[in-house]
Amino acid sequence: MKKLTIVLLLVFLVISMTFAQGAKEDAVKAGSVGATITHWYWADNSKYSALMQEMVKDFNETNGKGITVVAEEYPWDGGKYSENLFTAVMGGGGPDTASWKLTATPLFTANNLLANLDPFLKDWDGKAGIDQNLFDIMKEAGKTDNIHVMPWNTQILYVYYRPSMFKAAGIDVPKTYEDFLAAIKALTRDTDGDGKTDVYGFGMRGAKGGQEPWGSFIYGRGGSLADLTTKESVAGMQDFINIFENGYVPPTAPSDGFSEIIANFKSGKTAMTIHHTGSAIGMVETFGDDVSAFPFPAGKGQWTSMGDTENVMFESCKNKDAAFEWLAYLAAGKGQSTWNEATMNVPVSKAVQDQPIFQNNRFMKASMSSVSYAGIFPILDTTTEWISVTWPNTIARALFGEITAQQAMDILQKDLYR
Amino acid sequence: MNTRKFAIYPYLLIAPALIFVILVVFVPVFNALLMSFQNYDLRRPSAIGFSGLKNYGSVLADPIFWSSIARTLLWVLFGVGFQFILGFALALILNQHFLMRGFVRSVSLIPWVTPGVLIGLMWRWIYDGNYGVLNDLLIKLGVCDEFIPFLAQKSTSLPAVIVTIIWQGIPFFSIMLLAGLQGIPSALYEAADIDGAKKYQKLFFITIPSLRNTIFVTTLLRIIWVANSVDVIFSMTEGGPAYATQTLSVYIFNKANSMNLGYASTMSVFLMILLSFVAVPYLRSMFKKH
Repeated sequence: MKKLTIVLLLVFLVISMTFAQGAKEDAVKAGSVGATITHWYWADNSKYSALMQEMVKDFNETNGKGITVVAEEYPWDGGKYSENLFTAVMGGGGPDTASWKLTATPLFTANNLLANLDPFLKDWDGKAGIDQNLFDIMKEAGKTDNIHVMPWNTQILYVYYRPSMFKAAGIDVPKTYEDFLAAIKALTRDTDGDGKTDVYGFGMRGAKGGQEPWGSFIYGRGGSLADLTTKESVAGMQDFINIFENGYVPPTAPSDGFSEIIANFKSGKTAMTIHHTGSAIGMVETFGDDVSAFPFPAGKGQWTSMGDTENVMFESCKNKDAAFEWLAYLAAGKGQSTWNEATMNVPVSKAVQDQPIFQNNRFMKASMSSVSYAGIFPILDTTTEWISVTWPNTIARALFGEITAQQAMDILQKDLYR
Repeated sequence: MNTRKFAIYPYLLIAPALIFVILVVFVPVFNALLMSFQNYDLRRPSAIGFSGLKNYGSVLADPIFWSSIARTLLWVLFGVGFQFILGFALALILNQHFLMRGFVRSVSLIPWVTPGVLIGLMWRWIYDGNYGVLNDLLIKLGVCDEFIPFLAQKSTSLPAVIVTIIWQGIPFFSIMLLAGLQGIPSALYEAADIDGAKKYQKLFFITIPSLRNTIFVTTLLRIIWVANSVDVIFSMTEGGPAYATQTLSVYIFNKANSMNLGYASTMSVFLMILLSFVAVPYLRSMFKKH
């Protein structure tokens, strides 16, 4: 009898828990009427984290439609953000909207996870204020006939340099790719005469994300990302290897990521490095006037990576109209000017681009000067893995002399276009 | 009749636990096994389908797979080996009577209770080739005259991550072995003292034989855990540079993260087979006990 009572109690417990869960879900559904939008984003530093939260607060207070955005921050982690986002959305637990990189688009559209923005864009009066070319790129990225990605800002890579170090080395700002390679060599110096290198000419990024500055070397020799196995592309790769082997970059270069190249530049360990306006404010805070920028110089070819940051709405979003209001705020509303003024990213809104703060900035000028030859990496379903795993490991193998430049480029070509 | 009626109760009572285990362990394992026979790449959902032994063939022909297995063996051999030796030494020390013993025992547990990702990040900064405290210490001690890029060169990156996993796992062995040490009757040592046994004789003829079962079980468990661990390596090097720290678990993790679940599942099957050489003796010893 006692055992039967225990069993009955267990059954009762299980049934109660099941009903309690059902009641909770009903309550959640009823609560969704208030249009709460969950938004995922990443931030390069704590200031940008606070900025995003301020923008969310501003939007929530001023949208006039009772929409509440809840912004949740996740680390970019060299692209791991997109993979985590995919896992979350596939598992049914992702956000309504998210900050975005175009390279992730094919994976999400192939699995029908992104909302089609065409019906919203059709009647949106802010669309005309954004270059149509950007929308074309957004459409192309998804490999469908629809636009799934909303432009927000772009980042164009340029070369940071320390004018005082150029002066000490007795060189001018490079005008050609050959000048640039020569400058890397000239800026590598033993400043205290102890026989060891104290300043390296260039801060090479060998970890994830380093493929973007690396691409400029490939084009500098006349190669291209379309075919990495041509002799010109291989020559660019050889330049990359040479500057490592000759000791013109820190020996930690094969594992250096964003944090390391920026820290090395700010500490004076490197004289040049490649990044975009996202780090410009921090550079000025550190060096004042002793930091400037030049566009990656032309060789036989010229290219620099145009980074992109957009926003997307997921198909699973239950309040798409409210979500689009938020995306529109970021693309052409106050969110566009607030974010880009603070982060010094290149705005997508023409009206914001024309503001003096963007027109009179030396880093923004270097970005704007590069627009004509800036490009993006091929957006393929292999790109994310190629960037995260294949590129850093293959480059490291080449830098260590384990494989030749030609072998490295064969591997990179095969894995990217498989 | 009554006997039969009562015999059902034990099964009813363990049913929730059994169902739970089936759902969270056996179903995913079976699913992974199924995926290993499929071209299951979420980046190309339209191509998902049965592919027979294709994944198995590709994995066996993959040189990175074989080098990852070799690295896994080194990772486990040195990682668990030194964890055991140092953990045993620490257990012997903690078994002595000394001032603040309780405090020292608690503090020695810190590496074990710290999350693996945090450990990875902490050691990554310790090893940092530009600003790391280890390099600073080595230079100040005159061991080297310039910073060593521990995690950026092939020769030092694997040993560096192995040292980290050793640091993490020492407390596990020390606590388990300490519990075993406290269970050894003191009469054995007293008898050995009367017989004039030396310290090393007591260690090899009393302590180690008495701890045999504990050593066996803890070592097997730790081999399985270390072979499966991803967090420490991934947060330190992500398997690089040039795959120098990529164990099989990290390779599986990377492939799964790239959404090639079929290929990742196939490698998981191989890892499962590899670990069964350790798991089967462990399970047999467990069943023997019962």
